[in-house]
Amino acid sequence: MAEVKVKKETNLSDPVEVENRIKELCQQFPQGITDQVIQNDMPHLEPQQRAMAINKLLSLGQLDLLRNSAGLLYRLKDSQSTSKMKGSDNQEKLVYQIIEDAGNKGIWSRDIRFKSNLPLTEINKILKNLESKKLIKAVKSVAASKKKVYMLYNLQPDRSVTGGAWYSDQDFESEFVEVLNQQCFKFLQSKAEAARDNKQSPMVQRNSSFATSHEVWKYICELGISKVDLSMDDIETILNTLIYDGKVEMTVIAAKEGTVGSVDGQMKLYRGVNTIIQPTGLVKTPCGLCPVFDDCHEGGEISPSNCIYMSEWLDF
Amino acid sequence: MTAQEVRLCGLLLREHFGEVVEKVGTHLLKCGAQNLRTIIHETGLSVDLVKKSLCVLVQHGASTFSSGRKGPGSPTEYHTSCDRILRILRYPRYIYTAKTLYGDTGELIIEELLQRGHTTMSSTVKTVADRLTQNMAEGLTMDYSEVSSTFSKLVETHFLQRCPPLPRTPATPGTPAAPVNTAPPTPESFPECYKVPSVTLIGRGKRQLASEDGEEQRSAKRAKMDPQTHGDEGIYWQVNFERFHLHFRDQTIISAVANKLDQTSSEIVRTMLRMSEVTTSPMATCTKPLSANEIFRSLPPSYNILRPILDQYLTLLVDDPMEFVGKAGESGGGMFVVNLHRALANLARATLESVVQERFGSRSARIFRLLLRKRHLEQKQVEDFAMIPAKEAKDMLYTLLSQNLVQLQEIPKTPDYAPSRTFYLYTVNQLPTARMLLQSCYKTVANLVERRLFETKESKRLLEKSQRIEAILASLQVSGAEPEQLTEVEEMITAPEKQQLDTLRLHINKLDSAENQVDETIFLLESYINSTNASS
Repeated sequence: MAEVKVKKETNLSDPVEVENRIKELCQQFPQGITDQVIQNDMPHLEPQQRAMAINKLLSLGQLDLLRNSAGLLYRLKDSQSTSKMKGSDNQEKLVYQIIEDAGNKGIWSRDIRFKSNLPLTEINKILKNLESKKLIKAVKSVAASKKKVYMLYNLQPDRSVTGGAWYSDQDFESEFVEVLNQQCFKFLQSKAEAARDNKQSPMVQRNSSFATSHEVWKYICELGISKVDLSMDDIETILNTLIYDGKVEMTVIAAKEGTVGSVDGQMKLYRGVNTIIQPTGLVKTPCGLCPVFDDCHEGGEISPSNCIYMSEWLDF
Repeated sequence: MTAQEVRLCGLLLREHFGEVVEKVGTHLLKCGAQNLRTIIHETGLSVDLVKKSLCVLVQHGASTFSSGRKGPGSPTEYHTSCDRILRILRYPRYIYTAKTLYGDTGELIIEELLQRGHTTMSSTVKTVADRLTQNMAEGLTMDYSEVSSTFSKLVETHFLQRCPPLPRTPATPGTPAAPVNTAPPTPESFPECYKVPSVTLIGRGKRQLASEDGEEQRSAKRAKMDPQTHGDEGIYWQVNFERFHLHFRDQTIISAVANKLDQTSSEIVRTMLRMSEVTTSPMATCTKPLSANEIFRSLPPSYNILRPILDQYLTLLVDDPMEFVGKAGESGGGMFVVNLHRALANLARATLESVVQERFGSRSARIFRLLLRKRHLEQKQVEDFAMIPAKEAKDMLYTLLSQNLVQLQEIPKTPDYAPSRTFYLYTVNQLPTARMLLQSCYKTVANLVERRLFETKESKRLLEKSQRIEAILASLQVSGAEPEQLTEVEEMITAPEKQQLDTLRLHINKLDSAENQVDETIFLLESYINSTNASS
């Protein structure tokens, strides 16, 4: 009985003991402990003292405060990051934490301001400080070229920020895309022609004129025209642009899982096609392409009788 | 009846029938149905001229008359529609089709009927026989029976039809009239529409001899009063334009299949369309189902493909994304239909895409096709899918938007349409865009016709001079002059004038052929719009 009393007294009276106990609990539950857990462990601890202890640990930077759907969570911070922040004050720590949370997508300075409620000048000072300590870096976003997002120094920026394989240093590489476009189309066209010259039964002819996206990907990789590694998704976006050019059509077939190039049991097949009509009659006349078509009427400045486009076309 | 259509109709009427008819026709087009007195009053022409113009218009089917609005007793009203007048653009195409299907005889029959509007069988046969005899070698003449048989063939395949008999108006205005059918009776509603009358036509074509020149000219002024009757008085024939249109539509579908797939598939589709020629109504969205067995039997004998190969071709046609042919059942080896409406929609879409491509370039065409496929897209998504740099994509989208080929749909996030909080989606609507292009086509044809008239007017003096010289030459040749006189007359036209004449001829030919080409686009777009209206 006396021991229990002593224990209780030691628990109640010593805040350091309380903090140590909380730290031990955190170590027991590495994913975090809620207030409830602390209460269960030390039922005689008053809420004030509990709160004091937790605050002390937070300000020392030894506990992480998180929120989940059930309530607040306390987690032990690993010692590495605690050492990094030595010498920085609370505000910097806060800003650093916000940037860390943003992961590899980075976060804009205005968003940091919203989340931390610090004034702009403070934020800028802190950011400069952190950058000089080489803890964060600024990456230019490809979507809005003036926007700079901040992320941790050693993280790779996400595809959505740099634009992926089609962007090199924030510039959209249209020639690269064009070249790939042409190459894919040539490949599919030659395949279709080879199938047509084959002169077998029509079913076989049509099936052999198809190429899977995997085949096209392999062909492009072997061609070696790309310095960047292209994934099959990239090739599929190129093939989609060919579909929108009306030169290629696509079908999806069910494929067995495990066959090369199948994604979720499906395979995409591409085939070169011809257009179904010749250029239409309207565009064979100058009026079809005339930039001032709407201003033209008989008796006006621009009229069929004095149309210079028509005169040129007639003398052609 | 848009302004462009009225302008084009006016130009066509002026070219084919003269200015008086043009005046009356355009007045009726603009003002709707009117009676004789109002027309005379508003156009300011004399009674005879108006009456004659109305006769011409009715004869060619451009105008119809019916009893007035106020009831059976009121004066008859005349009503013109531009459809019939716009068909005049297509006459060369009809004549050419008749030539390919039925040879020179068919060509001349259709030409006669198009020129005269409504005629009887006997008069057509005689005139055509005479014309054919004219062009044949010496000593040969064309028999009437040959021409009649071609005529009957044309009627059997429904290219020609009888004009509907006119409704009889009641004699006294007081009697309560039978309920008047306000819609004009279509020729098809009469059971004897395609029945060839039994005509006694025995004889051969007469060659017009040179010695009869003087007499012919005198009697040509008066309508030839043929004393012979041939048993078909009062039965007038006209060209069935709808049937020609169906034929053109089939041709376009077949050539589209040939372009997309291969020759054999197009032959199969041609067979299917030929078999459904008379069983499908003009406004149907697809033909009646045909079984694979029937198709196999009806294939032309030159294409001897095996039955399993035919099945493969049919499966390929059904699987094609363009959906020209569809499968309607499994009996008889598979029942197949030709999806007419869908084929027309695909053809119209290809027309729109080709216009955008030629006008704005292939990257704008890529954006246009992308929007046609994906319906509604934001600007960022357009840039991503089309893989075009943002600045250029924005520029192209705005150009297309200003030309009204692409529309903007706003979806607000907040009740006040604040621009920063609204989604702006780009979209393409095929039907309104097709209508807009159709009007552009009408304007284009009108421009081409006006330019042609202008060029002719400019060189009027030169043309008259050349005509005079040709007349002099012809008369000299007939009266047997020496070569020196001929060359002397020929030299009256100087070399630069000759060159000018040649360029003029070249220009006019070019303008003419351009009109025909634009008419093909007009036909496609009109068929698509009519088919969509009929199916909705």
